[in-house]
Amino acid sequence: MFKFNNINLDIWTETYGISFYLTYLSRWPDLCCVQEAPNGHMMGYVIGKAEGHGQDWHGHVTALTVAPEYRRLSLARKMMSLLEMVSDETYKGFFVDLYVRCTNSVAISMYEGLGYSVYRRVREYYGSLGLGRASKDEEDAFDMRKPLSRDPHRRSVRANGREFVVSAHDVS
Amino acid sequence: MSTALDRQIRPIYDALDTQSNKSAVLACNKVLKKQPNNVLVKALKALALVRLQKVEESLLLADEVLAKKPTDDGVLTAMMHVLRGLGRHSDIVAMFETAYKQHPQNEDLGTQTFFANVRVGNWKAAQQVATKMHKQFQDDRYLYWSIFSAVLQANDMATPEALRPVLLKLALRLISSGNTPSYFNPDRFYVHLLILRELEMYDDAATLLNHEIGQKICETSLVCDEIRRDIMKLKGACKQEGEQAKVKILEKKDRNWLEFLSLLDATFWDIASTSEPASEDVKAAVTEEIAKTRKVFSEAATVDGLKDRSGLLALLELEKRTKSHGLWTDACEIRMMAENYFSQFGDKACCYEDLLPYLAFEGEELEQWTSFLNSRKSFDTPDTLQRSINVYKLLRYNLTSAELTPELELARAQEYIKVYLDGLKFGVNLPDTELQPADDFAILVGHAYVSLWKLTGEESHLQSAAATLEYASARSKQSYRIRLLLIRIYHLLGAPALALDHYRLMNVKQVQTDTLSHLILSRAAMWSLAPLGDITYMSECMEASQIYMSNSTETAEFIARAFSTERYSQIIDFIEFEDRLDNSLQRDLMKVEHVRMRVAHEPLNAELVDMELIELKFIFDRIHHDNRDFEVIPNYQPRCQPSFNEQTLPLKPPGAGWLSAYLKVYIRAFQEASDLDETVEDKLLIGDRPKPSNDPENQLPLRERLVKKRQEEIDDLSEDEKLFYEYTLALSEWVGPYHDYVRPPPSALLAEAAKSNDLKPGHPLKSMAAAANGSATNGHSKKDEEPPAVKESPELIPKFFDDMKSRFDAVISGTALPSELLHIVATTQEAYLLFALETVRFKPNSIIKQYKFGQLAQSFKDLRVKASSILNEMSTVLAKLGEEVATPDGRKAFVQASSSIQDSSGVRLYFVSVKASAHHFTV
Repeated sequence: MFKFNNINLDIWTETYGISFYLTYLSRWPDLCCVQEAPNGHMMGYVIGKAEGHGQDWHGHVTALTVAPEYRRLSLARKMMSLLEMVSDETYKGFFVDLYVRCTNSVAISMYEGLGYSVYRRVREYYGSLGLGRASKDEEDAFDMRKPLSRDPHRRSVRANGREFVVSAHDVS
Repeated sequence: MSTALDRQIRPIYDALDTQSNKSAVLACNKVLKKQPNNVLVKALKALALVRLQKVEESLLLADEVLAKKPTDDGVLTAMMHVLRGLGRHSDIVAMFETAYKQHPQNEDLGTQTFFANVRVGNWKAAQQVATKMHKQFQDDRYLYWSIFSAVLQANDMATPEALRPVLLKLALRLISSGNTPSYFNPDRFYVHLLILRELEMYDDAATLLNHEIGQKICETSLVCDEIRRDIMKLKGACKQEGEQAKVKILEKKDRNWLEFLSLLDATFWDIASTSEPASEDVKAAVTEEIAKTRKVFSEAATVDGLKDRSGLLALLELEKRTKSHGLWTDACEIRMMAENYFSQFGDKACCYEDLLPYLAFEGEELEQWTSFLNSRKSFDTPDTLQRSINVYKLLRYNLTSAELTPELELARAQEYIKVYLDGLKFGVNLPDTELQPADDFAILVGHAYVSLWKLTGEESHLQSAAATLEYASARSKQSYRIRLLLIRIYHLLGAPALALDHYRLMNVKQVQTDTLSHLILSRAAMWSLAPLGDITYMSECMEASQIYMSNSTETAEFIARAFSTERYSQIIDFIEFEDRLDNSLQRDLMKVEHVRMRVAHEPLNAELVDMELIELKFIFDRIHHDNRDFEVIPNYQPRCQPSFNEQTLPLKPPGAGWLSAYLKVYIRAFQEASDLDETVEDKLLIGDRPKPSNDPENQLPLRERLVKKRQEEIDDLSEDEKLFYEYTLALSEWVGPYHDYVRPPPSALLAEAAKSNDLKPGHPLKSMAAAANGSATNGHSKKDEEPPAVKESPELIPKFFDDMKSRFDAVISGTALPSELLHIVATTQEAYLLFALETVRFKPNSIIKQYKFGQLAQSFKDLRVKASSILNEMSTVLAKLGEEVATPDGRKAFVQASSSIQDSSGVRLYFVSVKASAHHFTV
């Protein structure tokens, strides 16, 4: 946390309180991973958790971020596949899901390239970025999912997820 | 709990949950009227009171509850919060221990007692509780709690050296006594490995690791794999590791950089592991190894192509190490590798940082490299733009001092501007949340202008830098890197308000305030307009300090939680994290700045003096960690020049020595001005004291340590601050004896405190019992002594003000930056304020008469007049300067300086405020 400034000063990366990071590290340390460059600078990190009941048991990507200077190197792809591997093998989840701002088109197309699809749209999930633009898209999130080996029939995804809208109260 | 009682208590909890503390107190009083001995309600009332800052009342109730030795869960939980609020952490431990002793069968109480000890880092006691619990409840989890507590005790700085191996051996013995082997889960396995490593039992560790389950665990657990690498290295099994790494790289396509490092270490092991000069045979063998390794890396690079850069980077590292070990390598090998790397990854932003360690070329190599780069410039697509950015950065890196003339740098600045403006076309359609692809060219412009300023000393170059960067920042609103440069440049130009604006736009928060607030709060008192009543910088300090509060309330809780989830591998990190924040250098630097600003802003009364005296004494003995992040500031200056960070620091950044010097200055001054002496302070203070330091140097009495100068301190101070430091020493030596004589005796003070407390509703303080039988005679006997003879002021004191005046005159006639002038003025002002602080006690006429201090008062008056007239002069000059810059001519000059990109900004504003400030503190 003393070294993540080059990553977290970027606008798409939120900096949380101490308890946020320590909660994840004290419960799911194997779903948290940092990538460092040979010179010791942090390149990116992923923070995840395992949650849900029964068929809904899944891995969740809470934060995935790469510093601006280390982008376009497939680092996110590698961290996602690590998280998918651990969710699949260690936690035996049915799928992996994540939330992303509807305006973050770069991230959305990357996740689609990794096999994720939109499951539903969550209203007013995020705070405003305070830039005074199309704030509706900015505050809404897409819930995107990718089935794992325990869900061979792809029950955890659907084709027209962008049209399923729920409010932020209905999701945890 | 009966339903009737539950009905009465529910509203109290509801009120507490919603932070309606006043109504919680009322609800408690209602119940207490009928049931005056209800312990739970008393505890809840104490909680509401402590939240309302009614510390004394809460304290009394809390003591009443504790005296009842509560064991009820609700009472204990409430009390835990109360005592935390009062800062009485050791009482929390005692409370749970008492409860657990009464109910040794209660597993939950045992757990709570263990956690209470964990939270305060009391590992010895934690270990004993866990051992007891393991015996009682036969759960291996408690066994591991006790094992890990022993490990942590061994790690603790306070544990004597000789005891450490004993504790570790005990832990090891306990592991073998468990019902399940340690590889039951990865974290227990980690603990086992850790102990073996600390005991240097590497072979035993290797046996565990080579076991099938051990290998399996290391494959999926990164922390276990990390400690495995460490142990293998310590064991000297580098070659074996290298072989494994080779397999992983080639067959499993593992691209973990640590694997590449393992193979590199193994390759050079025969030379690197001994200090003896290598024989020809050894050299030949290593050369052969190098060839093999080169093949592995080349293969990885070919397989990966553009997918991964590890192979190519490893090849570069291999050549670099070959050269550094004096083994034969073709002179052009590294350059060829670098060119190869550039050809593949030259259009990635990471290229510059990746290549940097390998580029110290000279002579012909440099020429070839330069011409290679020059041929790679092109600006057709966003990708080639990024490549050109890398080209420009890499060319700049290898510039020699001969190439850094003002003319050439100016030409470069102009070229960077041109390509920057061209490059903007690639970002025209991007949303304003995206970075402009050409940003780094603007950053290069900033670097060139700063270098020009360094070469010529002309302030106009800094203005040009600021103008270009402001323009770029408007184009790329999210670029924090541009803002970082602007913050530094505005400080140099004496425009802290603009620097603060950019800092705020970076949205620094939470733990970032610890690592980044130095950008804005280093020597904040110098920038602050606190004397004018502007508390912007003071509130910035308060805001940045929030993280330390949340660290002390939250982090310990997570250490306890990591025990309950048995994530031992995280605990050591959490403890280190807590310690680094708790004892952060920046934290206490900020505290000192806040005190300096308070002194300038507020009336100098007992409230300020007593409170800050206690707080500064609390932090005086800390061993600090420097968490400040300077690396985040971009640097593209040539390698023969200092970095951008070093070039743009207005003064050397304050370090531990600076902190120690200023703590001494202020503790001394406050001690003299305060009526509190140690005995009084001890009686009136609530809550835990800091743990005593073990450093033998700290065993001397505080008074002696405060007047001791250390070289480390002097080295950290600027020239002006050194003068100031000497001045404060002379000042307190001079006035100290008069303070000691006039200060009222402790007994009088305590009686006073008791009286004021009696006036309040509630009960007298506990400490008052001691006050009542205070040593009254001691106080009176003092008055029988003759007052100390009045001495003339030491020469150093008036001389300081004269010196500062001549410093000021010398600097203003040269080409000084506004920031330098400000530093001189602010230091003089601070000296004046400390003088006021140290003489305020002797102001009343009654004191002068009673102690025959007429002559002393006259010396004070003379000095005050002298100091204020010098400050007045300075302020007049500054005010004039401010007006000059604020005129249309001055603005025009600024616009001219930034003619490349027309953008005027508000630098002049600050001069106007300095003027006002100077006026203020001379009044």
